[in-house]
Amino acid sequence: MGDEVRKNLKYTDSHEWLKLTDDTAMVGITDHAQSELTDIVFVELPQIGKEIKKGEELCVVESVKSVSEIYSPISGKVANVNKKLEDAPETINESPYDEGWLVEIEVKDKSEFNSLLDAEAYKKMI
Amino acid sequence: MILKSPLYKLQKELGARFTEFAGFEMPIQYTSVKDEHLTVRRTVGLFDVSHMSNVWIAGKDAEKLISLTTVEDASRIGDKMSQYTAILREDGTVIDDTIFMHLGNKYMIIPNAGMAETVAKWLNEKAEEYSICATAENVSKDYVILAIQGPKSRDTLQKLTDVDLKTVGFFGCQYIDIADINCIISHTGYTGELGFELQITPTSLAENVFRKILEAGKEFGIKTIGLGARDTLRMEKYFILAGNEFKGGRTPLEATMSWTINWDHDFIGKKALLKQKEKGDYERLTCLKCIDKGIPRHGFEIKKEEKKVGIVTSGTLSPCLNIGIAMGYVHHDFREKESILDIIIRDKPVKAKVIKPPFVPKDWAQHN
Repeated sequence: MGDEVRKNLKYTDSHEWLKLTDDTAMVGITDHAQSELTDIVFVELPQIGKEIKKGEELCVVESVKSVSEIYSPISGKVANVNKKLEDAPETINESPYDEGWLVEIEVKDKSEFNSLLDAEAYKKMI
Repeated sequence: MILKSPLYKLQKELGARFTEFAGFEMPIQYTSVKDEHLTVRRTVGLFDVSHMSNVWIAGKDAEKLISLTTVEDASRIGDKMSQYTAILREDGTVIDDTIFMHLGNKYMIIPNAGMAETVAKWLNEKAEEYSICATAENVSKDYVILAIQGPKSRDTLQKLTDVDLKTVGFFGCQYIDIADINCIISHTGYTGELGFELQITPTSLAENVFRKILEAGKEFGIKTIGLGARDTLRMEKYFILAGNEFKGGRTPLEATMSWTINWDHDFIGKKALLKQKEKGDYERLTCLKCIDKGIPRHGFEIKKEEKKVGIVTSGTLSPCLNIGIAMGYVHHDFREKESILDIIIRDKPVKAKVIKPPFVPKDWAQHN
């Protein structure tokens, strides 16, 4: 456990994943990241509607002992957040790629997508 | 230079993740902080705390030296007893908090990680200055320190010794054979649970003891515990961590440790404490339990209606209560019990209530 990398996703070197569907990108943290953090106990999500630039702080994920900033892999507007995480932050540990997604972003510039890592490259990195 | 515990290799083998703490590379966690924390509250955990120091105080006036340099009158602490106390500067601020163990004609003190040289030097200087016939010797490198903590700690250790451990009372200490190895045992700990600590020398014997304890505790579900859970366990009980709570120079009055002070004897720092006590207007360490969601951390500001009234020195999510808890220094006017204060977490105020310590009561595991 702790190193699943999914083929259909894009990745960053700071361990976020991204899935593009039409103009919306779903963002979360990778299995590797959740297993490094262990015990996620608190998630601070952004306001819906917030404009965000690639590389800016998107949310904060805390374990008992650590605080980790999650950076946006792409620019755009926060369209939706995973409210479930406010009461069940451990969902990120249990299901980092499905139930434990963090934010949906309305993507402005799809060309930013090209600079992200593919599964192969991310796998090599971890 | 980064120091490693003599048990480093074994810990690596057991799957520990490491962190640097006060110059030592020590296990931060094995499984997860939460899991290890709850294991100690519910059954039993084994910690390597060899980053802590060992200093022998010997000589015919050893007792006198301890009485002079700590807030305790050592003549009160009989043979085979230990005591939690603090070593102060002349201005009343804490150099270190420590336990001293009375073992025959010698005393062993357990200064915090990385503090042995400072403490030994201070004690030797004071011995000379006050013409006291006693010496302090840093022997930290010769000892491995293990802590066995949790409701099943006694049952675990009892399987490895012929001495009835019920005869080792709270804060008692003595030489004992554990797993056929002679070491010092004390009925002490940093978790608020039933527990014991072992001082083992030479360090080459420690791995065997460590493995035997794990074997003996197997039936109770014993786990190895890292410094992460050690920190959350102590915070739930409002126990001070020197590096956090004394940082920047704090007196035992500010750290709400006045219960440790024996005013009937003379000690270094007493004058300054009496002065501070009389003035009474100092900040005091305070227990804050969050009402809103959010996790307080070291260095966060504490406010009352936009006005800064204090600062968090230690904070975490309490694994037992599943809510943020904090220890911090608060201006004396704002720390009345039940007061509601704001802890500023990433620019947002999170409401917290001043409570009477500890955060987690003694019998928590029996009801949860």
